[in-house]
Amino acid sequence: MAEEEMIFDPAMKKKKKKKKAFDVDAALAEAEGGPRANESTPVVEPSNTSIDTADGDGGEEVTQPETSIKDDLDDLDFEKLGKKKKKKKAFNLDELEGALPDTKEVGDDQNEGDDIMKEAKSDNFDLDMDFSLEKKKKKKKKKDLDDLISDDLGRDDAGTDATDSSKPVWTDSDRDYTYDELLTRVFDIMREKNPDMVAGEKKRFVMKPPQVVRIGTKKTSFANFTEICKMLHRQQKHLLQFLLAELGTQGSVDGNNQLIIKGRFQQKQIENILRRYIKEYVTCHTCRSPETILSKDTRLFFLQCETCGSRCSVASIKSGYQAVTGKRAAQRAKNA
Amino acid sequence: MTRMSIQNLNTFDPFADAVKGSDEGVQDGLVHVRIQQRNGRKTLTTVQGLSSEYDLRKIVKACKKEFACNGTVVEHPEYGEVLQMQGDQRENICQFLTKMGLVKQEQLKVHGF
Repeated sequence: MAEEEMIFDPAMKKKKKKKKAFDVDAALAEAEGGPRANESTPVVEPSNTSIDTADGDGGEEVTQPETSIKDDLDDLDFEKLGKKKKKKKAFNLDELEGALPDTKEVGDDQNEGDDIMKEAKSDNFDLDMDFSLEKKKKKKKKKDLDDLISDDLGRDDAGTDATDSSKPVWTDSDRDYTYDELLTRVFDIMREKNPDMVAGEKKRFVMKPPQVVRIGTKKTSFANFTEICKMLHRQQKHLLQFLLAELGTQGSVDGNNQLIIKGRFQQKQIENILRRYIKEYVTCHTCRSPETILSKDTRLFFLQCETCGSRCSVASIKSGYQAVTGKRAAQRAKNA
Repeated sequence: MTRMSIQNLNTFDPFADAVKGSDEGVQDGLVHVRIQQRNGRKTLTTVQGLSSEYDLRKIVKACKKEFACNGTVVEHPEYGEVLQMQGDQRENICQFLTKMGLVKQEQLKVHGF
């Protein structure tokens, strides 16, 4: 299994599609012959899941630091990046429920007996059972990408499945509540009171992709530059400054409101920089909401969050040291 | 339940900065690693902000050998001594500096695309 996951990483997209197809099939199969499918599944399930958690945890811990960073950047979802979007969508939909079945296993260590009971119970509901199986598969897919989130979710949701079935476990006994149970209870209440939070889980910040076109051989045009500035509610000047500083080139906005940058750049690269810009100058550093105002105050830029009200200073844009790349003779002529 | 809430639950360590600054020999402040495009597919990597305690000439010598590229040290009135390497050595240089214990991972700031 561990090996499989290793292989899994690079070829994720392909596999994903395969799985998806499989899922559909599975769903169909369930719809048609529920009991038959059911008979085979319970046998597979326990062993499957135990392995799943064992290696899943190990793998996660190794990859976590990376994925957390990557994940941060990936939050800023650029529209139309077909694959990415698909991924996210699948994730969003199943985020909550997807986490739940898995947590069964997370909690496994603590109450194995319990778990078995639950599984036995769920055997009765054909559909229920199969769904959980399906989701497990999905979960695995997500592991590399949204490792962190799902992991967190998993941890917090440990034992949710009990409460999720609408009544707390402790109602019919006088035992003390466990920490996990209380934690889930709190989160359930939070979800109940804030439906928004459940719907979006986390509000995704969707951006238009930058349209980057090469002009000739030495220049690049960023066609929807002004549009993106408007979307981000930032001054063109500021974004321009940042872009040029990061790319280490010169450039300007032309008559058609497109940005002309000296040098060859691809959309991917510009996107990357936009991500960084958004992370630093658009999203609130405390609550990550994109509803912020950037204001200049005594030479410093401050980011004021509209959602949580926090206010913090952000780094000033410095292009830093720039090596001489052009013709030295030309520069000398200019200076003289 | 998102990472957002988890993040907020993190305990804040008020002395985190103090710990960072205390150890000697390791430099303070950010080290900026940048990339610049030259003509064609060629690029240039610059490393700005390395502590002046280090002999940059020696670092550059080691880097040149390690990455099989050329490089120099440039003196700049504002930014001090700056390393220049040929080609896109951003990842290489980051690994090198951290591995040698010259700079910590969190002090490195990589710019460019």
